[in-house]
Amino acid sequence: MTDQLGALTTIFTEFYYWVTVVLMFLIHVGFCMYEVGASRYKHHQHTLMKNTMLIPLVTVTWFLFGWWIYWAFPTGPGLAPSIMNESTALITDDSAFSAKFYVATSPLMAVNLGDHISGVFWAAFLLFSWTAASIVSGAIIERITTFAFGILAIAIGSVFWTIDAAWGWHFDGWMLKLLGYHDAYASGVIHAIAGGFALGVLMVLGPRIGKFSSSGEPRNIGPRNPWLVTIGLFLIYTGFWGFYAACNIPIFDLGPEYGMEGISYWTATNIYVTPTTLSGITYNFLMSLSGGLLAGYWIAKGDPFWTYSSGLAGIICASAGNDLYHPIQAMIIGMIGVVISYKLHYWVERKFKIDDAVGAVAVHGYAGFIGLVICGFVLNGYPSSGYSVGAMWDGTTYATINPLGQFIGALIMFVVLGLIPGYVIAKILHGMGKLRIPRDVEIAGLDYEMMETAKKDERVVSSATR
Amino acid sequence: MATVTNWIDHLNKPAEEVAGAIYPGAGSSETILVILGFIVWIGWTVLTSKSESEELERLSRKRHGANDHKSNITEW
Repeated sequence: MTDQLGALTTIFTEFYYWVTVVLMFLIHVGFCMYEVGASRYKHHQHTLMKNTMLIPLVTVTWFLFGWWIYWAFPTGPGLAPSIMNESTALITDDSAFSAKFYVATSPLMAVNLGDHISGVFWAAFLLFSWTAASIVSGAIIERITTFAFGILAIAIGSVFWTIDAAWGWHFDGWMLKLLGYHDAYASGVIHAIAGGFALGVLMVLGPRIGKFSSSGEPRNIGPRNPWLVTIGLFLIYTGFWGFYAACNIPIFDLGPEYGMEGISYWTATNIYVTPTTLSGITYNFLMSLSGGLLAGYWIAKGDPFWTYSSGLAGIICASAGNDLYHPIQAMIIGMIGVVISYKLHYWVERKFKIDDAVGAVAVHGYAGFIGLVICGFVLNGYPSSGYSVGAMWDGTTYATINPLGQFIGALIMFVVLGLIPGYVIAKILHGMGKLRIPRDVEIAGLDYEMMETAKKDERVVSSATR
Repeated sequence: MATVTNWIDHLNKPAEEVAGAIYPGAGSSETILVILGFIVWIGWTVLTSKSESEELERLSRKRHGANDHKSNITEW
């Protein structure tokens, strides 16, 4: 960097993403507190460790191959040509944003004075990966083995969500071109896919012992510590500010980017490099949170667990279009998402005996899916990209946002990349006898031996005289 | 409804038009949206007030003692 303004822009962007990572760390702290609060005392420590160990597992695999997948797969491969090299193959050539720069052996994947952005951008996406894995973690507490969860966390955190991000979040993604897919703050690319994946795993894993009566009636279990759940969810809200900021590019000149001669237009953009403002999305974040809380409080009759979760579901539902919605649109969309998700959660629980311990499939999966579909109607006709505007299915240009494209996109996120892989991997793990903890251990509690040892230590220490 | 249909065309407009509202229905839907906002707020207040009153009434009819809640504390 040789000129001061260029250096200032670069280092501001570097610091901006760095701050988003710090804020998003709170999402994981929140998820840990939330899960421990929702689990029973006899499972606390294993529940905590399960969610904690996804941090190193997803981080290492994200470094080794997850980040490479994101840059390599925007074309499908084979579905729509890249705007960088006009090929439908994996992007591994010398193009500006080729995956070859993000292979684990690349000099850009380390301290490099020629690159101030890759590391912080890598980390921002990594924190999205943790979130995706953590969403699954909550649904399956108290009965899954840590081994199985580790495999599932890597699958969703470092493989399937990064494929969906390449397809539907990358500026060159085939879903934007063929379908006009739009998902600015990840209703689908994080939430619907993780919810769908969790549902697929739950279908194989089965419910906790005692969840359903012999006649099939569902029973409520917990939460053990509502206050920990409360703080956990507030921390997730807090971390979501970082999540939203990380989905934006803070400062960018769109004139030259769009090939417009003599025009300079500096702005913040969303992940698709189209204009928005951090100020505008702040309105929408808070109004969709409020819509979710209002609807959740009403429909759950003041139940704190569902009210807090509904705040989150409200944001998640409006997230697909929160770069463009009016704040009152965001609020109403959040409310609609919450009401449908809540009803769907209990219907699925009764009908299919699905035990989603924290309502993750509803809050993330259903709300995300609904949000994508609504976005197709409300933002119908907006361009999905700034680079070019064309027809649906064309592939060489970008389709405009439309209801059918968003619906197909929602199915790809929830079912194709979420539910089906979750179900298949869980089936394999089940076949190996590695998915679920033994029945006797589940009844006694995963922490039984830890608690027994601690009790013995306590007795010895309390009777000690020196 | 779409306020912008092509970003390149939009950014080529005069500066005062570029730096304007871009939400769906900009310039034509604000009044309706604000009315909807009021309806949601007032409707929510009426609905939750009604259900709260019903719940409080139901609870008061049971005439619980001051220490009865202690037998309902869970130890999951």
